[in-house]
Amino acid sequence: MEHFFQQLTNGLAVGGIYALIALGYTMVYGVMKLINFAHGDLFTYGAYLGMTLLTSFFLQDRLGVVAGMLILAVMVMGLVALIGAVLERAVYRPLRESHRLSAVVSALGASIFLQNALMLIYGARVHVYPEDLLPQATVNVLGLEVPLMRIVVVLASVVMMALLYLFVQKTKIGTAIRAAAIDQGAARLMGIDVNRVILLVFLIGPALGGAAGLLVGLYYGQVSFTMGWLYGMKAFTAAILGGIGNIPGAMVGGLLLGVIEALGAAYLSLAWKDALSFLVLIFILIVRPTGLLGERVADKV
Amino acid sequence: MKRAVGLALALCLLSIGSARAADTIKIGLLAPMTGSWASEGQEMKKNVELLASELNAKGGLLGKQVEVIVGDDGGDPRTASLAAQRLSTQGVVAVIGTYGSAVTEATQNIFDEASIIQVANGSTSVRLTEKGLKYFFRTCPRDDEQGRVAAATLEKMKAAKVALLHDNSAYSKGLADEIRGILKTKKINVVFFDALTPKEQDYSTILTQLKAAGPDVVFFTGYYPEAGLLLKQKKRMGWNVPFLGGDAINNPDLVKIAGKDAAEGFQFLSPPVPKDLDTPEAKAYLTSYTKKYNETPGSIYGVLAGDGFRVVAKAIAETKSTDADKLREYLTTRLKDFPGLTGKISFNAKGDRLGELYRVYNVEKTGDFVLRK
Repeated sequence: MEHFFQQLTNGLAVGGIYALIALGYTMVYGVMKLINFAHGDLFTYGAYLGMTLLTSFFLQDRLGVVAGMLILAVMVMGLVALIGAVLERAVYRPLRESHRLSAVVSALGASIFLQNALMLIYGARVHVYPEDLLPQATVNVLGLEVPLMRIVVVLASVVMMALLYLFVQKTKIGTAIRAAAIDQGAARLMGIDVNRVILLVFLIGPALGGAAGLLVGLYYGQVSFTMGWLYGMKAFTAAILGGIGNIPGAMVGGLLLGVIEALGAAYLSLAWKDALSFLVLIFILIVRPTGLLGERVADKV
Repeated sequence: MKRAVGLALALCLLSIGSARAADTIKIGLLAPMTGSWASEGQEMKKNVELLASELNAKGGLLGKQVEVIVGDDGGDPRTASLAAQRLSTQGVVAVIGTYGSAVTEATQNIFDEASIIQVANGSTSVRLTEKGLKYFFRTCPRDDEQGRVAAATLEKMKAAKVALLHDNSAYSKGLADEIRGILKTKKINVVFFDALTPKEQDYSTILTQLKAAGPDVVFFTGYYPEAGLLLKQKKRMGWNVPFLGGDAINNPDLVKIAGKDAAEGFQFLSPPVPKDLDTPEAKAYLTSYTKKYNETPGSIYGVLAGDGFRVVAKAIAETKSTDADKLREYLTTRLKDFPGLTGKISFNAKGDRLGELYRVYNVEKTGDFVLRK
């Protein structure tokens, strides 16, 4: 039983990261019906920017761990959001009126560009965060030794997801986002500046992706310029699992995918771990094509 | 008059053009310049280019300069076959590379059909030289030799229960299979045999499974980024089992990823890097490499690519020819104990390097890799 709970916490920790990245896919899809394939690379940029800022300003020495990390998070999220906005202007906006396939190809191109740009700037070697930034304490949760940072990672992702959900559901701008998601033309007629809504989505989604990258960098310590691909793939799966376009869906999908992977690896087979999670995805798409929580924002097909 | 001058000029230009084309001996380098093994590929390029420029400074080969043409295989078999086709139409005499076994496999027949000598530098899979291809060589040892050394090391550690972890790549799975086969004959129990997914960051799921199997030693046959993370996360779990690794671990970045504490005591098998060799060639090379790049060669595979370049250059110089059949004949029958950067080099008829190359390295408290005697 202890083994089961150990694997469950392993799965939840990874799932929290998947969920955070999945939010970016889901928001962009919800509003634009577009899979932003460059999102995984924005996640990588978050991890690299975090490393660069951390080593160039010695934030943790000057401000202490907690304040340093918070400021770091704000800086990384801001910068990645900026990259997201540039991406929207340069890669997606010129193609908004053309066939949807063009935008997908454009997204793939942007992904390859971003990845190789990163390789040219930083070099191809694996990079490492400064050692032991964070306290290595473990907490005893119901008889299980859980690293403190794991709890922080999961909490941070849950808090960010909850804030996003409240923002979209409760604020006026959130209402505009939801309106644009349902019908861009009608939203425009109601006086909503759809371009600004889309820009906003491309600020928030990448910012969350960047935050996920920073969390991964801080916790695992190692970053490489190709790391976004696998995480992007998993997060994309999580978004579809939960119902793409749906914010709580991304959250549920991410956590679930992490847990399925961990338990699948524990009780079935390690080597088939990834195949298993995709099998679950296929099964759910057959039984419930809209994903677990359905696609609430997009009523029109 | 004007026309005559023009004609003469044109002839002149033409002759310069053709003289230039015949002026160089082209040697191809097939390497992962992009993709997830890009760091290895870029080191391969550094080594080969350094050696080529040194050779050119001494007058080149057969009175001509040597030109290195780099083909990028992206660490991917499909890209590699395209790159190999391109290289074979560019008039290269021989090709150095490439790194991954599956990637090399995709290029072998292309070079063989074009009668181009290929000297791979990191592809250790056994079957690559068992196919009987005429022009294929490699400067790296084979997995079955590594398997033997691995089993002997495990025996020496008095391990009764061994866990084998690979990453499903052709190299890693092949090596794990070799070791499992040998351990079976030695009555050492393999209590765990499975794969992880490379490029993930969180291996706690796998470590939890490994720990439940209760091995005395864990042998990981994958690459250094994953090994680094495994060591780090193992330490966080507070699990103190000894870890062993294969030759894809030999990269100083391992210690950076794992941290010195977690890497200490980790052992791996590898051909020796030049800094551990006391031959004059290795020492001289280390000096010129450090002078040019301000660092010591990090990856053994880059150096093995350099050795590939050196044996090809030696064969061309000795046979005074660039004919593939003559080069092959020289490499398989006449090249004996050539002083390579990684030790003595001779090839057997299959194209495999002869001799025991593997040593055991230990990661010290300081983070240095130290050769175990």
